Amino acid sequence: MIAYEIFQLLVYPGIFLLLVLAFFYEWIDRKFFARLQNRYGPSYTGPFGLFQPVADFVKLLSKEDIVPIACEKAIFSITPILYFALPLTALFVIPISGQTSLIAFEGDLIFMMFIFTLIVVMVFLAGWGSANQFGIVGGVRAALQMLSYEIPLGLAMIGPAIAAKSFSISTIAQWQSQNLSWGIWLQPIGFAVIVIGLLAELEFVPFDIPEADTEIVAGWRTEFSGRKLALFRLGRDLELVLAAAVITSLYLGGAQQLGFIPAIFTFVIKTVFVVLLFSFLRAVFARFRIDQMTAGMWKYLLPLAILQIILIQFGVGR
Amino acid sequence: MGFASTIKVPFGPQHPALKEPENFIFEVDGDTVVNVTPRIGYAHRGMEKAFEIRTYIQNVYLAERVCGICSHAHTTCYVQAVEELLGVEAPPRAKYIRTIIAELERLHSHSLWVGIAAHEVGFDTLFMYAWRDRELVMGLLEEISGNRVHYAMNTIGGVRRDLTPELVAKTKSCMDAFETKSKHYLRIMQTEPTFEKRAAGVGILKTKDAVELCAVGPTLRGSGIKNDVRADDPYAAYDEMPFNVISHEGCDVLCRTLTRCEEMLESINIVRYALDHMPSGELRAKVPAAVPAGEAVSRVEAPRGELIHYARSNGSTKPERYKIRSPTLANIPALCKTLIGCHIADIPIILAGIDPCFSCMDRMVFVDAKANNQWIWTMQELRNSKK
Repeated sequence: MIAYEIFQLLVYPGIFLLLVLAFFYEWIDRKFFARLQNRYGPSYTGPFGLFQPVADFVKLLSKEDIVPIACEKAIFSITPILYFALPLTALFVIPISGQTSLIAFEGDLIFMMFIFTLIVVMVFLAGWGSANQFGIVGGVRAALQMLSYEIPLGLAMIGPAIAAKSFSISTIAQWQSQNLSWGIWLQPIGFAVIVIGLLAELEFVPFDIPEADTEIVAGWRTEFSGRKLALFRLGRDLELVLAAAVITSLYLGGAQQLGFIPAIFTFVIKTVFVVLLFSFLRAVFARFRIDQMTAGMWKYLLPLAILQIILIQFGVGR
Repeated sequence: MGFASTIKVPFGPQHPALKEPENFIFEVDGDTVVNVTPRIGYAHRGMEKAFEIRTYIQNVYLAERVCGICSHAHTTCYVQAVEELLGVEAPPRAKYIRTIIAELERLHSHSLWVGIAAHEVGFDTLFMYAWRDRELVMGLLEEISGNRVHYAMNTIGGVRRDLTPELVAKTKSCMDAFETKSKHYLRIMQTEPTFEKRAAGVGILKTKDAVELCAVGPTLRGSGIKNDVRADDPYAAYDEMPFNVISHEGCDVLCRTLTRCEEMLESINIVRYALDHMPSGELRAKVPAAVPAGEAVSRVEAPRGELIHYARSNGSTKPERYKIRSPTLANIPALCKTLIGCHIADIPIILAGIDPCFSCMDRMVFVDAKANNQWIWTMQELRNSKK
C-alpha cells in the first residue's frame, strides 16, 4: 500500500504528471498566443514544437548561474525553489484523477488561497533580494498588485464554497457533479471575477505590470539566470496549471467521471479550455498602469465579487 | 538619518524600450519623474566627416545609409541640396517618382511606429499585426526598386529607375489593400479602451512649448500646429499634390498616434494621385562631376519630421562641409519636457511617442564649457583614439 501511495505522490497523479502538464500547458499557451498574433510559435523541437518548453528548461539548467555581489544571498537562492514548490504543493489538494484529491481535508480551500498569497510574497522577496532597481520596482509592483486583486479573488473562491457548504475543494467539485450544475452557470459573476483575478496572479497581459519588459526590463526576475530562472519559469508553468485547475474544480465541475471516460480526461479538457481562455485574454489587451489597475480592481472587481456573495446569500446560485 | 528624496533610474544605453543605444537618467520621486538628463551620442558614426572625404556621387549612397528607415528622405534631401548647388532641376517625372517613393516610405515607417507604440504599452498582438501588414509596402518597394530598405532610387539630377505600367497597377492594388489595414489600425487606436487608458492625457506637450522647443513632424502636429514642409515649402512634386496636413489638438501621445494613423491615409491618397497624374518624359538631367562653390540648404518632411541638410562646396568634387539635422535631434528638448511629471510606467510610450531614430541623430563635437571653446578631431586623431 505504501508503495502505491509513493507512486501516487511521485508519478500519477503526483509530481511527474503535474510537471508534464506544466510543460504541455506552456506549449498550448505559447502556440495559441502565437497563432492569435499571426505567428507560428514553437514548431521546431518535437512534433508541432511540443517539446520546446522542455528544451528551454534544459537549456536554462545548463546556463551559467550568476549571483550578483550586492544581492541578499539566502533570499536569492531560496525564492526560486519555493516559487517552484508552492504551486506544486497547492496542486495536491486539487482533485485531478478522480473525485478526491491526493490530500483532502476540510479547509484545504483556505490552504490554497494562502499558497496563492505566498507565491506573490516569494515574487516580492525575489525582486527585493536581487538588489536591482528594476527587480525592486517589479517586486513592489507585484505586492501592490496583490493587495488589489487578492480580496475579489478570495471572494470568488468562497462563492462555490458557500453553495456547497464546504471548504474542501474535493467536496465542492463533487457537489457540482451531484447537483448536475457547474459553478459557472450558477455564479457567472464569480467566474468572471476569478478569471480576472487569476490573470493578475499569473501576471498575464493586461496585468503583466510586475514584469513589464519595456518599462522595467524583466521586473522582479531581472537578476536571475541559469537554473534559478529555469525554476522560476517552471514555477510559472505550474502556477498556470494551478490556476486552470482551481477554476476547473470550483466553477467547471472538476474532474468528473463521464461514463467510460476517466476523470483525468475531463480534467485535462476543462483545464485546457481555461488555458486557452487565458491566452486569448492576454492577446487582446494592452497593459494597464499600476495605478489604473489598482483603482480598477477596487472600483469594479471588488463590488462585483461582493454582489455575487450577496446574490448567493439571497439564494441565487446555490 | 535621512533618505534622499529622489532616486536616479537609468534608462539605457541598453534597455528593452530603446531599440538603439541612448541613455536617459531619470530623477524619480516615488513614481513621478522630476528631472531627466539625456546623454546622446552612443551611436555616433562620423557620417558628416565621411561626407567630406567622398565625391558627390559617392555621397548619394552614403546619404542612403544615414537612416535605416527613412533612407529615401535623406537621399532626397541630399540630392536636392546638390542640385541647388549645381543649378539643375530634376525632370517632372523624376519628381513624381520621388514623391511616390517618399510616401511609400512614410507608410512603412508609420506602420512600423504603430507596432512599436503598441509594443511599448504591452499590446503585442497589434505589434505583430502592424509589422505583418507593413510587409505589403516593403514588398512593393522591393518590386519597384529591388531593395526593401535602401531603395537607391535617387541620384543627382533625377531618379535611377522608372515606374512601369505594371508596377503602377501593382502599387494601386497594394494601396487598396493597405488602406483597409490602415483604417483598421486607426479604428483600434480610437476605440481600444486599454490603449486609450495608456495614451490619452499622457506625455502632454502644450502647443506653446512645442513651438518654443522647436518640435517637428507628428510630435508638433499632435500639439495642434499644422506645420509640414511638404505644404509649407513644397519640394519634389508636392506643390501639385492635393493633401491635408493632419493635426490634433490633444497634445498627448494619443493625438500623436492618431496624427500618424491619419497621415497614412493621406499618404495613400497622395500615392494614388501621383500615379494617376504622372507626366511622361526624362528620368534624369545630365550633371557635371564638379560642383561650383557655394552653399545650399535643403529641407524634406521625413516620416519623423523636418529634415535639414546643409552643404558647402569649394568647387571641387567633394563637399567642404556637410551637416545633417535629423528630426529626432529637434524633438529631444520637447521630449525631455514631456517626460517631466510622468509616471515611470509611461516613460517607454512617451519616448516612443516622438518616433526616435537615434543613430541618425548622433553627432560629435568637443566642447570645453569652462574655456568656452570647441574643436573637431581630424581623421588621424580619430584613428589614434581607438588604440
